[in-house]
Amino acid sequence: MSAECIVDFVIPACRGKAFKLASGQKLRVIDEEGKQVAGAMFFNAHNYKEQFMAEFSGGLNYFQPPDLGSIGSHYRLGELYSKVPYENLMMTVTHNELRDHFLGTHCSKLWMTLLGAPDHRSCSDNFAEALAEFGLELEDVYSPSIMNIFSNARIDTEGDGRLLINPPRSVSGDYVEFLAHMDLLVAISACPDDVTAMNDHSCKSIRIQIYS
Amino acid sequence: MTTQQSDHGRSENTILQDIVVPRCSGKTIRVERGQVFRIIAHEGKQVADLTFLNADNYKEHFAAEHSAVLNSLQGNGGYYRLTTLYSKPPFENPMATVVDDLVGDGGRGGVRAGHFMMCHCSRRLLEHLGFPGTRTCSDNFADAFREIGLRQEDTYDETIFNVWMNSWIGDDGGMLSEVPLVQTGDHIDFLAEMNLVAVVSVCPDETSPCNDFKAKSLRFQVLERGLCANGADA
Repeated sequence: MSAECIVDFVIPACRGKAFKLASGQKLRVIDEEGKQVAGAMFFNAHNYKEQFMAEFSGGLNYFQPPDLGSIGSHYRLGELYSKVPYENLMMTVTHNELRDHFLGTHCSKLWMTLLGAPDHRSCSDNFAEALAEFGLELEDVYSPSIMNIFSNARIDTEGDGRLLINPPRSVSGDYVEFLAHMDLLVAISACPDDVTAMNDHSCKSIRIQIYS
Repeated sequence: MTTQQSDHGRSENTILQDIVVPRCSGKTIRVERGQVFRIIAHEGKQVADLTFLNADNYKEHFAAEHSAVLNSLQGNGGYYRLTTLYSKPPFENPMATVVDDLVGDGGRGGVRAGHFMMCHCSRRLLEHLGFPGTRTCSDNFADAFREIGLRQEDTYDETIFNVWMNSWIGDDGGMLSEVPLVQTGDHIDFLAEMNLVAVVSVCPDETSPCNDFKAKSLRFQVLERGLCANGADA
């Protein structure tokens, strides 16, 4: 029996949305228009303190013998884990043709201020609004370091280790599919950064689908 | 209390606290705004895992990876060196400033070799690496947080300041590590921009070059900065 699409909606440009995903369901995050980053946070739906930890997952993906990097890395996740002390497998990635992610922070008020746009909307605003529907505040999210789906940002391998913000390589219709291993609260931000190359200097929508 | 004469003989730092934290353990240390928190390499090539909490609001804590990116945008740091340590959103306040950092500035080799703004070792990571049951920084941090009545579940960004950790992210997104370049007696100074609780783990890793395959003790000081003869800040 093939999976049935039970939820299908579009998150408008520069907005965020939070929603529940049941264990066993599949989530597709789709780049609707191309070259658009979707920031993603995941919480255990029954204990919001158990939160997805992006960098930590990058390390756990990379350090899986015998072939280091075969599961994933800092730029391509295969398995998503929750923060310490939980360290549970929250999701596995079941489709990921493009394989571009950046496990790092989302844009914020200070990010925009440092770029000379102090009143510009940021992923912090998107997440704060989305999470408010579920009684959560940004203060309750332990780390701003998330899974930036379709992001082609990279860390310089030399010097200070600066963030190199390259435009995404994704095209319209590219998607990443996740299988949930626990009941989850998902928060997605259609990244509103048009100041840097993060979204190729224009903000676009993101499509969400859930399959039974 | 003892005083410290600088090389120039004009400024004196008052040492308010001077402690050696044993290998494989964690600790919290209170640092008031304006004081300097100093970490001293006590036994050569070693790593100190470090985070900070706002002493007056534990929900406001240091976000290392976020700070790496913000410093990168400012042009004064990145994943391997920091100037300003910021708290997580929505706070995003300067918590501390790095004011003396020989290793981070490249004084023992390249700048990349200085530090690493990334996660600490944990139970599951050591299991993946084939060392189940090994003590990790996660255990140290849990012990340290307990000193101030917090549980690991209730606080902190797992991306931390891995002081002197000579690791970096390679082109393929993998994490690479070499032995730290720091030498016994080298230090790094953090000027507190608010009242802080420093939370430290004396890295217990003996399985990788990160800690030169041996756990060691670390020395920490809290300093009151001295004044020059003319009354200006030293």
